[in-house]
Amino acid sequence: MTVETITERLGQRVGEALLDTRTHKETRLYLTVDPAAVVDAADELFNRMQARYVITAATDQRRDHGAYLITHFFSFDADDVYVAVHTRVPEGNPRIDAITPTVPGAGWAEREMRDVMGVEPVGHPDPRRLVLPDDWPEDLHPLRCDFSTADSPAPVTGMEMPMKDIPEGAVMVPVGPYFPTQHEPESFAVFVEGETVVGSDYRGFYNHRGIEKLGCSDLTYNQIPFVAERICGICGFVHSCAYCMAVEEAAGIEVPRRADYIRTVFLELERLHSHLLWTGVAAHIIGFDTLFMQTWRMREPVMWLCEKLTGNRKTYGMNIVGGVRRDIPDDAHDDIERVLADIEREWTALAEAVPGDRTLMARLRDVGYLSPEEARNVCALGPTARGSGKRIDVRIDHPYAAYDELELSAPVEEGGDTLARTLVRLAETPIAISIIRQALARMPDGPVRAEIDEDISPGLEGIAAVEAPRGESFHWVLTGENNRPARWRVRAPTYANLQAIDAMIKGDVLADVPIDIGSIDPCYSCTDRMTVIDRRSGQMRVMTREEMLGSRQTAEHTGT
Amino acid sequence: MIRDWLIQKVLPRSLWVYHTNCGACNGCDIEVLDVLTPYYDAERFGIKVVGSPRHADALLVSGPMTRQTAPAVRRVYEAVPDPKVVFAIGSCATGGGMWHDTYNVLGGADQVLPVDFYVPGCPPRPEAILHGIATALGLTPKEVHALHAIQEADEVEIEELAEEQRLVHERE
Repeated sequence: MTVETITERLGQRVGEALLDTRTHKETRLYLTVDPAAVVDAADELFNRMQARYVITAATDQRRDHGAYLITHFFSFDADDVYVAVHTRVPEGNPRIDAITPTVPGAGWAEREMRDVMGVEPVGHPDPRRLVLPDDWPEDLHPLRCDFSTADSPAPVTGMEMPMKDIPEGAVMVPVGPYFPTQHEPESFAVFVEGETVVGSDYRGFYNHRGIEKLGCSDLTYNQIPFVAERICGICGFVHSCAYCMAVEEAAGIEVPRRADYIRTVFLELERLHSHLLWTGVAAHIIGFDTLFMQTWRMREPVMWLCEKLTGNRKTYGMNIVGGVRRDIPDDAHDDIERVLADIEREWTALAEAVPGDRTLMARLRDVGYLSPEEARNVCALGPTARGSGKRIDVRIDHPYAAYDELELSAPVEEGGDTLARTLVRLAETPIAISIIRQALARMPDGPVRAEIDEDISPGLEGIAAVEAPRGESFHWVLTGENNRPARWRVRAPTYANLQAIDAMIKGDVLADVPIDIGSIDPCYSCTDRMTVIDRRSGQMRVMTREEMLGSRQTAEHTGT
Repeated sequence: MIRDWLIQKVLPRSLWVYHTNCGACNGCDIEVLDVLTPYYDAERFGIKVVGSPRHADALLVSGPMTRQTAPAVRRVYEAVPDPKVVFAIGSCATGGGMWHDTYNVLGGADQVLPVDFYVPGCPPRPEAILHGIATALGLTPKEVHALHAIQEADEVEIEELAEEQRLVHERE
């Protein structure tokens, strides 16, 4: 489907409400529609034309346009087209029809829009708070331009967001926010009948640090990569790369080819260490610590290699707008090849051993099933989508950096279970090694960054996406004044994949929940609060913290 | 005093740690986990990561303290039995790092918890984490040398301190 066909079909559907269209290189389509027609446009794109929903961004444009700019992004993966549907909501009445009833995957994004920008999604089925902390006032929206960090209210204790009602006959098992070993805090409320999971609710965003606010208030274009790298400590390069590519696209900066190749090498090195890391963590979740130790031992030389090449174990400090900071010297090729050869040899042995391991099979097969329909509805990405038979991979669908000149494939599994997602990652690792080898062999000579003489003018837009180890990482930049973006929107892949957890864990037994959650490669958690069930009456209640402390003291006094 | 004595006496050979992320990007968490794996092998020092704060002697905190995690981290701290030590791992936990002035971050871990030891770095290398813990427990000597430095424009003037004064600073 070309940009012309998309524009034409949308024109037929919403008519006069399609106010403006603009294209960029036949791969980006920016539309402006009337707020009244936004649900129709989303329906046409998502349900009729079978586009994939990406994310929603809200921008404060009250100073220039007297309105909030709401943008829904869609992707036509087979055709290499990203579509941005802009709508301006007048500042006097910040309400817009929610697209969530039409596009289920938009549920979180519209809740976030309400939190940070104060634009009400009318008709949203679950308009609870998502991103902001429990004690944040309802009427304070941090991404509005007139909000300054100094306005932050003092923390208040004892506030907790209500979770969903527990289904009739079920028991709630709280999971999180803190749990053994490592990773991030997040809370799941898992509803069980006996051992079987019947539903769940989620409260996350404990790690919300206000990065997008920093990006459009304090930082200049070349300061943001430093922050972008620290969105995620595992796939930091992905974020700085996607951000830089979005700015480059907006400003029309041509990146030297050698820089594209260097970026590709580091993106694949990151996938390599991330997949090794995930395999270890997943093994650890199911109690297979030998595999955990083995994969992390295999992974460590990648970190040393990254340090040698970039100066930091996490490939930090490489990307800037216009290219990369450091070249890969020719004498480093041997070091890289040595690390790759070792991993390839050990990984082949490991990948062959997995299907024959009865413990792994028993824990991974037929658990955490995600159907292809559900995967499409929540807009799952990366190995999570490819494990459910959905062939999407940004490297192939929307080629960036040097991927258009390299040979690669996206392994797909039809199973939809945790095993399928594991097999996808197992198959991707040798492909990453092959891509690094190809990129090093074909890397052209030349400069590694473009010289940028002119200021970037305001009002330009750029979209960039990078296939992170977990799926598509999407960045949108709207340029602004004073050498900084007016808006920088980031959508990490776990944002979409976490919404699939509810469907995945339904029907599984409680003991499989950690590996189900782990199988999308986010963070997992274990039970840390207590639920008391009165067996005779069948009634259930969750003990409050005070009650728990009280019972502990009683136990200490009586010595039990 | 008794607490310090207990820590030096009881913990060095078998420090059980509980690790909490209070808003980190995962960078430090991965390095903390890396310390347990074969190349660094923290268990040879008797250091073990445990699954419940109630089993722990030490709390490892990484990341800037976000508003949402603060009450939960506080509860984790309360659950660790005395005597306990708290380590702030990474630049963010040390002082809020680059997030120190965002709306959802309260600052470093010491805004909410009494932090005993700091291991800065973004992220600190696994060796740095091991070294930090070993130094705190008295397994290795402290390697610091206090100097007096004054920077004016681009010029830096460095002075050696008198022995007595230097020791006062180094003990701090």
